Amino acid sequence: MTAPLISVSDLTVRFHTDEGLVTAVDRVSFDIAPGEVLGLVGESGSGKSVTAKSLMRLNGDNTVYDPASRITVNLPDGPVDVLGLRRERDLRVVRGGAISMIFQEPMASFAPAITVGDQMVEQLLIHTTMSKAQAKELSIEMLARTGIPEPARRFDQYAFEFSGGMRQRAMIAMALSTKPRLLIADEPTTALDVTIQAQVIDLMKDLVRDFGMGILFITHDLGVIAQTADRVAVMYLGRIVETGTVRQVIRHPAHPYTLGLINALPKLSDLDAPLTPVPGDIPSPLNRPPGCVFHTRCPVAIAGCYVEEPAMRPARDGHLAACHLTEEAVTEGMTA
Amino acid sequence: MAETMQGPQATPQETEAERRRKEAYFTASQGQLIWARFRKNRSAMIAGTILLVLILMGIFAPFLSPYDPTIKGRNADYTNGAPQIPRFCDEAGCSMRPFIYGVKRERSLATNFRWVTTIDTEDRRYVQFFVEGDEYKMFGMTFDTHLFGVDEGFIHLFGTDDTGKDIFSRTLHAIYTSLAVGTLGVLISFVMALIIGGIAGYFGGVIDGVIQMVTDAIRTVPIIPLFMALAAFIPQEWSSETRFFFISIIIGFINWPTLARRVRTHLLVERNQEYVLAAQLQGAGAGHIIGRHLLPSFTSYIIVDLVISFPYIVLSETALSFIGLGLKDPVNSLGVMLQNTTSADVLLNYQWYFIPVFFFIALVMAFVYVGDGLRDAADPYSSSKK
Amino acid sequence: MTAQADTPPVIAAENLTVSYTLGHGLLATKTRLNAVDNVSITIERGSFFGLVGESGSGKTTLGRALLRAAPISGGHVIYRDDEVRYDLAALSKPELKDYRKRAQLIFQDPYAALSPRMTVRDIIAEPLEVMGLTKTRQETDARVREIAAKCRLNLEHLRRFPHAFSGGQRQRISIARALVSGPRLIVADESVAALDVSIQADVLNLLKSIQREMGISFLFISHDLSVVAHVCDHVAVMYLGQLVETAPTRTLFARPRHPYTSALMSAIPSLDPDDDSQAEKLEGEVPSPTNPPPGCKFHTRCRFAQARCKAEAPALREIEPERFVACHFAEEFDFSRDHAAAPAEA
Repeated sequence: MTAPLISVSDLTVRFHTDEGLVTAVDRVSFDIAPGEVLGLVGESGSGKSVTAKSLMRLNGDNTVYDPASRITVNLPDGPVDVLGLRRERDLRVVRGGAISMIFQEPMASFAPAITVGDQMVEQLLIHTTMSKAQAKELSIEMLARTGIPEPARRFDQYAFEFSGGMRQRAMIAMALSTKPRLLIADEPTTALDVTIQAQVIDLMKDLVRDFGMGILFITHDLGVIAQTADRVAVMYLGRIVETGTVRQVIRHPAHPYTLGLINALPKLSDLDAPLTPVPGDIPSPLNRPPGCVFHTRCPVAIAGCYVEEPAMRPARDGHLAACHLTEEAVTEGMTA
Repeated sequence: MAETMQGPQATPQETEAERRRKEAYFTASQGQLIWARFRKNRSAMIAGTILLVLILMGIFAPFLSPYDPTIKGRNADYTNGAPQIPRFCDEAGCSMRPFIYGVKRERSLATNFRWVTTIDTEDRRYVQFFVEGDEYKMFGMTFDTHLFGVDEGFIHLFGTDDTGKDIFSRTLHAIYTSLAVGTLGVLISFVMALIIGGIAGYFGGVIDGVIQMVTDAIRTVPIIPLFMALAAFIPQEWSSETRFFFISIIIGFINWPTLARRVRTHLLVERNQEYVLAAQLQGAGAGHIIGRHLLPSFTSYIIVDLVISFPYIVLSETALSFIGLGLKDPVNSLGVMLQNTTSADVLLNYQWYFIPVFFFIALVMAFVYVGDGLRDAADPYSSSKK
Repeated sequence: MTAQADTPPVIAAENLTVSYTLGHGLLATKTRLNAVDNVSITIERGSFFGLVGESGSGKTTLGRALLRAAPISGGHVIYRDDEVRYDLAALSKPELKDYRKRAQLIFQDPYAALSPRMTVRDIIAEPLEVMGLTKTRQETDARVREIAAKCRLNLEHLRRFPHAFSGGQRQRISIARALVSGPRLIVADESVAALDVSIQADVLNLLKSIQREMGISFLFISHDLSVVAHVCDHVAVMYLGQLVETAPTRTLFARPRHPYTSALMSAIPSLDPDDDSQAEKLEGEVPSPTNPPPGCKFHTRCRFAQARCKAEAPALREIEPERFVACHFAEEFDFSRDHAAAPAEA
């Protein structure tokens, strides 16, 4: 078994805010193998973005990482403990070098006053030992690879001259030009039209196949995850509540939240089905419920859920859910 | 399924105090939220306290200072006198009341018959509180009680200047003058900025363009040559009060472009907010939208802008008075007092002339810190967070 | 479906055009942008009408035009309810004021749509005060409470400021504000797009219950076909300012008759990981609205395009009762090659 690309263990992230110390991520653990796409699904307040940014230490100054948290990136030269890095120079390895990130708002990632080409070249010059000419050549090649027509001409254009979908492709090109081992995609398709979204998803799948890198795909859209990811982890209020392969989690959800999410989705296949929301509202992170974080909205909560935090129990091989009830009990309880 | 909309999740363990605190947060108006945030900023609170103290010192200057700051209240016997710090004990023993030594002035042989002031350590002058002294006017009424004084003679906590005027009294009055000029200047700037910036921001388009050009033109006018020209124009016959108003108005006029630009920017942003469109779709007129939505939306910004412009105006006035183009004796501001510090004589011998400098620095820095604190407190509220 | 065949439709738009001239200043060249180009739709009273499209389709502009928040450059829009009949393109000032009571808007962004410095009670009461619908404070309060209860907001919530609420709750406040003046038509512009999926269903259910109980007609603008399929009884699809297809929901989704509709449907990522039915993804980008392609605006991205499509713009034809399509080959080709019936999902 090859070592995973990145291994996150017991990651706990807190923030100093006006209202006190807020826990955004609570003991999150996952691994990503080379060539694997892990989907991180959650709604607002789930902590998925904070988790992603922690991998590159991009969270703000008021962040407190728990001493028990570990993020280990396995590079060819040896493992790197991301949370232990102190100097800017060392952090560069994980920021844009071995790990790259693409964001939801492509307009926000490109500096408006510099051409796209210049930015791509700048990134390459920072992270590799290429010459400027080599960097330019590689950048144009990457632009072509991501399906941008007339890449040489586009190289000299500014970000505002690109359409939304093309900007996203350019961002992917920029992120991939340093040949990262891990790509973090934070809601990359949310701001795109659905027809463009489909194109970008296809592009990412092709690139994974060709480059053999891992992708951490963060989104709230279960449909996108179903089509893109191999494995998925569902987050709620900073905890991972369920994890498994995409087929396992979507076809046989074992956690009430996952099942609730799936039920809440409008599906084209059954237009008569009523839309069933997950009851209640997500609690404020200042006020995390005791016991199971989900119990305040759980239709099948039992007395023990208020008191005891559930551990991740396997529902089947490789499929874990943090719930006191078994998968059958959950499904039965929620369809009743 | 949800029957009623859940507000904050009231978990069984929540205490009554916590619930009330949260409810207070939910029902807090914008002003209350900003104040709560401001209070947590330690440096801002310290600066705020200092600012408050200085302002009170300025307002109550006539009461707090033992003597009239003008020629009227001078001590002819003690010119360029060193500060007299009250003490409790000396060789002759300690006393409950603080005292200073009396001074005697006589012609001395040693200095070619020039006046020499000596301190007589035998002559104890006890400091008294709430003494009767020179008359002064405050809030329209006449008083004559001063906070402290001595039973005989004078007490000069910060020393005296070359004509014998008490520097302590002058400093306190100077704070008041500087603050008064500042307030007047800020008010004038503000009113002009609100009108001009408001029109530019609300209507946009061509009107905005024209106003912008005018504003930028005014901003490019260099202050010092302008003041030199104006100083040449000011007739000598004008009383110090008239001069005071004139200077304040001019400074206000110089500063309105900066504020106006801010007002315009705020308005341009707020005008396009969706809740403004919602009001328009209800058929609300311009008056309602400005009064109910736009003005309240940038009240917090404007207050911050006002507080932050204050030190600039005080600085402008101080700088101008310092080089002689602003206020002149007998109206004294901190700038006028600083004018006296420019000779080598003073630097070498009469260092106490510099005491007002510290007050000046304290005043400006206090404003800056308070303004910064206010801006930090107001900003987080205005940015929409998810 | 709650629409009745003999009552007049609440909105009957004919050849509606909304165009803007771009290019400011004296020296810039002026281009004409037809945000809405010759659109004719009919919204039956009490129906939930869906308007679907991607960016640049003009759906938002159309919604705004129906509220007179965007200028109507051409065509007629007739609004009819039990009391009045207005041509929205030619309203006098008092008529416009009256129309504001009858047609309201719910915004997309719940965070920007509420004035942060007003309490919830004031936000909901504002239309009543602006429109002069109530005379005393007690009347206003009573009406606010009534509407708030319908949107499941209780008294405690009324005293709070918007910052106390989550996205879904804020959207309810927006809905309450839209309802308080007693409108007959509500335009919901991407009203659930910014909400989490679990809350989205909640707000949609609220909108449907309002439609049922209060008989209000909705124009539901969205880019999300799945949502539209579930809540709307009628759907219209727009592309680059024009209507390409409109039909009752079930009919449309059972078999789309326009290649764009078909492409939209197949672009939705399926929840079934093994669903490999990749009806070809649409290639290329949406053309610029200032420089639309000649003939059929969709032909540059259409797999089925023929020579005729480039030369001649197709008219919106009624190919079946209540079903209109703007395609030369709507009857001949089967566009939904892979979606004969929607695929079975997990």
